[in-house]
Amino acid sequence: MSPAARHLWRGGEPFIWLTGGALALALLLVAGFLGLIVVNGFGLFWPQDVVRLTLTDGKTLTGPLVEREAIPGEAGQHRVKIKVANRDLYGADFQWVDETSIVRREYPTDVVVMERTEWGLLIGTIKEVREAGRAVATGPAQGAAELARRLPDAARARREIRAIEKGEVGAINHAQEGIRLALRRLEGQKRYQERAAKLAELRARQTATVVVAADGGKEKELPLIQVLGVETPNMMSFAAKGVYYVGRVWEFVSNDPRESNTEGGVFPAIFGTVMMVMIMSVMVTPLGVLAAFYLREYARQGTFVSAVRIAVNNLAGVPSIVFGVFGVGFFIYLVGGSIDRLFFSEALPTPTFGTGGILWASLTLALLTVPVVIVATEEGLAAIPRGMREASLALGATKLETTLRVVLPAVMPSVLTGLILAMARAAGEVAPLMITGVVKLAPALPIDGFWPFLHLERKFMHLGFHIYDVGFQSPNVDAARPMVFVTTLLLLLIVVLLNLFAISTRNRLRRKYAMSAV
Amino acid sequence: MATTVETLRTGEPAPPARPLVASRARASRRILIDRLACRLVVLGGIVIIASILAILLVIVGEVYPLFKKPTADLVGRYQPPLASTLAPGDSVGVDEYREVAYAVTRSGALALYALDGRRALAAVPVPDLNGAEVTAVAALGKGPLAVGTSDGRVIPLDLKFEVTFHGGGRAVAPKPEFGEAARLDPERKRPILRLASIASASGPLTVAQVGPTDLLVHSVVEKKALIGGSRKEESITPATVGLDGEITALRLDGRGEDLFIGTSHGQVIRYDVREAQRPQRLEAVDVASAPGAPVTTLGFLIGDRTLVVGDGAGGVSTWQVVPPPSGGERRLTRVYTFQGHHGPVVAVNGSKRDKGFATADASGQIHVHYGTSGRTLLSMKVAAGQPLQSVVVAPKSDGLLAADRDGLLTQWRVDNPHPEVTLKTVFGKVWYEGYSEPAWVWQSTGGTDDFEAKFSLTPLIYGTLKGTFYALLFAVPLALLAAVYVSEFMHPNIKAYVKPVVEIMAALPSVVLGFLAGLWLAPMVERVVPGLFLVPFVVAPCILAVFALWRIVPSAIRGRVRPGMELALLVPVVLVGVWLALALGGLVEQTLLAGSYRGWLLSALGLTYDQRNSMVVGIAMGFAVIPIIFTIAEDSLANVPQHLRAGSLALGATRWQTATRIVLPTASPGIFSAMMIGFGRAVGETMIVLMATGNTPVMDWSIFNGFRALSANIAVELPEAPEGGTLFRVLFLAAFLLFCLTFAVNTVAEVVRLKLRRKFRYL
Repeated sequence: MSPAARHLWRGGEPFIWLTGGALALALLLVAGFLGLIVVNGFGLFWPQDVVRLTLTDGKTLTGPLVEREAIPGEAGQHRVKIKVANRDLYGADFQWVDETSIVRREYPTDVVVMERTEWGLLIGTIKEVREAGRAVATGPAQGAAELARRLPDAARARREIRAIEKGEVGAINHAQEGIRLALRRLEGQKRYQERAAKLAELRARQTATVVVAADGGKEKELPLIQVLGVETPNMMSFAAKGVYYVGRVWEFVSNDPRESNTEGGVFPAIFGTVMMVMIMSVMVTPLGVLAAFYLREYARQGTFVSAVRIAVNNLAGVPSIVFGVFGVGFFIYLVGGSIDRLFFSEALPTPTFGTGGILWASLTLALLTVPVVIVATEEGLAAIPRGMREASLALGATKLETTLRVVLPAVMPSVLTGLILAMARAAGEVAPLMITGVVKLAPALPIDGFWPFLHLERKFMHLGFHIYDVGFQSPNVDAARPMVFVTTLLLLLIVVLLNLFAISTRNRLRRKYAMSAV
Repeated sequence: MATTVETLRTGEPAPPARPLVASRARASRRILIDRLACRLVVLGGIVIIASILAILLVIVGEVYPLFKKPTADLVGRYQPPLASTLAPGDSVGVDEYREVAYAVTRSGALALYALDGRRALAAVPVPDLNGAEVTAVAALGKGPLAVGTSDGRVIPLDLKFEVTFHGGGRAVAPKPEFGEAARLDPERKRPILRLASIASASGPLTVAQVGPTDLLVHSVVEKKALIGGSRKEESITPATVGLDGEITALRLDGRGEDLFIGTSHGQVIRYDVREAQRPQRLEAVDVASAPGAPVTTLGFLIGDRTLVVGDGAGGVSTWQVVPPPSGGERRLTRVYTFQGHHGPVVAVNGSKRDKGFATADASGQIHVHYGTSGRTLLSMKVAAGQPLQSVVVAPKSDGLLAADRDGLLTQWRVDNPHPEVTLKTVFGKVWYEGYSEPAWVWQSTGGTDDFEAKFSLTPLIYGTLKGTFYALLFAVPLALLAAVYVSEFMHPNIKAYVKPVVEIMAALPSVVLGFLAGLWLAPMVERVVPGLFLVPFVVAPCILAVFALWRIVPSAIRGRVRPGMELALLVPVVLVGVWLALALGGLVEQTLLAGSYRGWLLSALGLTYDQRNSMVVGIAMGFAVIPIIFTIAEDSLANVPQHLRAGSLALGATRWQTATRIVLPTASPGIFSAMMIGFGRAVGETMIVLMATGNTPVMDWSIFNGFRALSANIAVELPEAPEGGTLFRVLFLAAFLLFCLTFAVNTVAEVVRLKLRRKFRYL
């Protein structure tokens, strides 16, 4: 080693580069992580071209290509994963094909991708459209035209059926539950039967079907009422794809999930998450602010208060699952159980409040996030110059008046920052919810049209739990994975945006106080 | 308040000020309101803070009953309805509501006791006794009894209790049904001295002792005939047990596999009775607590896998037929020795709900033990009277009955809801049924009623620490090095962008990290394991090489780049380095590891590779911990007073020397506290360990295996745990542990940090 090199080594300049390398690695990890989710999440709804592969043994496979990877142990060879869909015909959604066994790749324009109410996608060519068993249109072109004409009707009928099933029949059931009089019940029964008859009639009227030819000589006759949408991706222009994409995104955020959460939308999960966070905010803000004011403005500063402050700080580091356990032991079984015994004893042993629900989950999360609000508020209180308070007191205002008119307005932005951070934390937290009332599929939203409109005892769905459930508990993880990525992206967007907002507010405040202190 | 702003206009002479004393009443009202508000805020603040801190109390409140001492209260004593001594054997029992007790008397009657004391129940005679006496009674598990007579017959007795509810009350009516008598000894009509009887899957099996060493094995096998109904095949096989002394106790296990014979010389002889016609002697084991003391009584715990032995010297021990730890033949092995009696043990009775059992001696001393923990829970004494003959644990394990020779009953109410939990069973090794030696096992639920719940938190604590260890192994070097770079060497302009990025990273929901780790990272890592291990050894030389190249770059170009902007160059270098390492990994696997690292791991190190393993968890959880360690460490480094740095640099030290010799030592308490808080976060992390490990509670340190952590265990099992049950409370105990651990660690970190801040103020 030359003296110059040794000097350099002893001076430590190479080590600085190594520490920089560690930071670069960490940043790359974050970037890669976010990139992965964004690419996978945004990509799902983009209609992919459908390829038809002809294999060496004469078989054909039709579907979009999903993945390409090197075959382990065979250098230079690759295989592709094709989404053949048609779960009811083939059993599996995906198939791996070695590239060497592919003879021809083509992009036929007549291939349709049908979204339907069950069994996932259907991929094939339209053979004919039938009405009550009689063909009304044959061939891909005519069939597509006929479908386009008939689908709106089918969609309307489907909506009507759904409305009756969910809305009106649900309302009758709800009414029956409350009405104990036999006469009224009979009346309800009559209305129920009328609706049921209407349902049967509506169903019977929908006789139109479409026949789709899939690979391997298989055919599928599909009732039109089950078809949610038809498109021919290979014929779509870029603009058409864009329009379609926006529509799908809207569907995703506004629709109910289908097929054990692996298809459809996540509206109930979004609703549940937002509602839980809102209830939590309502609880956590006054509590946190009051506690912070006590600690900073009213309590005599001393060992006790600093011990309490350390304890509150540390509470933020206590695992969230411990808060969940507390919620189960205290809110659900102690408080909820007592409420049930006092007010809902007629429903026992079926618990009303004595089981997990949105109220208990929100309260648990409020407890979990109250240190965040306390700490942020205290920080804000500490930053308010002493002179402001003293000026107010010197003008003859009482302490309460000073607190309400001078300190509180000044500290409001800090409270807001704390609240936003608390909301972001609550939106992303899953572990305590798993034991305090989240479910994979809630039968009803916590708000509906029946008295008392807001049902705090109901179980609810949550985006974070949705990710866990669909990604790890669903029977068909492979098919569900894109869905999980999109849900992840959505959750991440919510959390990151909330955080960015909080961080920028905080930075602005810091600058403001830094100037006012001068 | 009295003067308004409007009155003070420029240029006008100020009007004479009105006296500031507004109404006295108003001022005092304001002061009153202020005082009230003050009280209210103080009260509210204290209540809120107290209720936040009450979390611990609620959790402790749920855990406390686990360790509450069991209690027994004397309920009453009941005179026998008949004047006759009790028959030997399992002749006493009680219904599940502890309302009606029964006792089979020697004279051949089923005496019924109304335990509420309000009614008298008529005794039911055993039919067709024809002058014979009852000489032995054996219970077949929960329900039926077998009654042996002095003329060699066995009469099955099914005693059911019919429970009717009306008007909020409950009525229990005993419904005894006697079956057809089996003549075991039709020729010699010897009295049946002892009886063991079971109803196994193939049919009833009865073993009766008719002489000091003579047994009769009676079996009824139902065989399905090809045509028509089934055919009963009955066989009676006499057997003589070769032993010194005589038989003093008999017990059959419920599966009809083993017959246990206690002898007057302190041995238990085990027979294989799977073929009833050909019983085979397997082994003879010395079981007595004192040499030569006779075995006086044998009993089974629920599930019929643990044999309880009581002997003439008062010793009580449990035994299991298990293979020795080194493997080999199954042998009768001693599990626990319990607190003994002063006189010979006369009766043993197992609980029908858990692994508890009661033993009694003739003097009236009764002990209640628990089989899993090896602990004696309760001890009570019957008031002096006739010698005690029988003891019975009530079907719900909430009571205990003892009967003396004349049939005088004593009843206790026993409150012992969580007998299976002691500090030792939760943290120590426990010898469970079917295990060759004591072990740490977590297995909370099983398929059958007689399942022995295994509540050892040790494997879960182990899992938590293992996950934390690997997470910190990944996170600490990366986070600390990055923090040093950001605070000491980085250009402030870039710093303003880097810090928020890291803060955002801290806010990422752990469910997202867990999902990616489980579904994306785990399969990906599986493909590139050797490459991943090469990353630090490839990336570091790459950076050094680029550094060396950078020195060669003409200083005209180099000088234009300000110090602290190395990062821009480093990002692509690291990217290339990682790619290179992964590529090299494939090469290494091909050449050195014989083409498959899994095969190599198994053959060379004996390790198996799980797809969801500690390495994946380490990376994902490290990801969650990095921002926390980074932020706190960076804060404490940046807070080191600037004049220390300036002094060091002025003395000619390089910026690296300043950083390592001056700044790092000064800030080291802050870095310690950063690591502690990172540790706390990793310990409590739930979703990542839940989703990225296999959740199997194994105990080994291999990085290629999964584990089950305390937190994930709570999340998985609490929804299914019935409220107030043992599992429920044990999970609360797990939460309590997590709380204490993180709270302690965080407090230490916080105190260290505060001290450091004070130190900086002085510097």
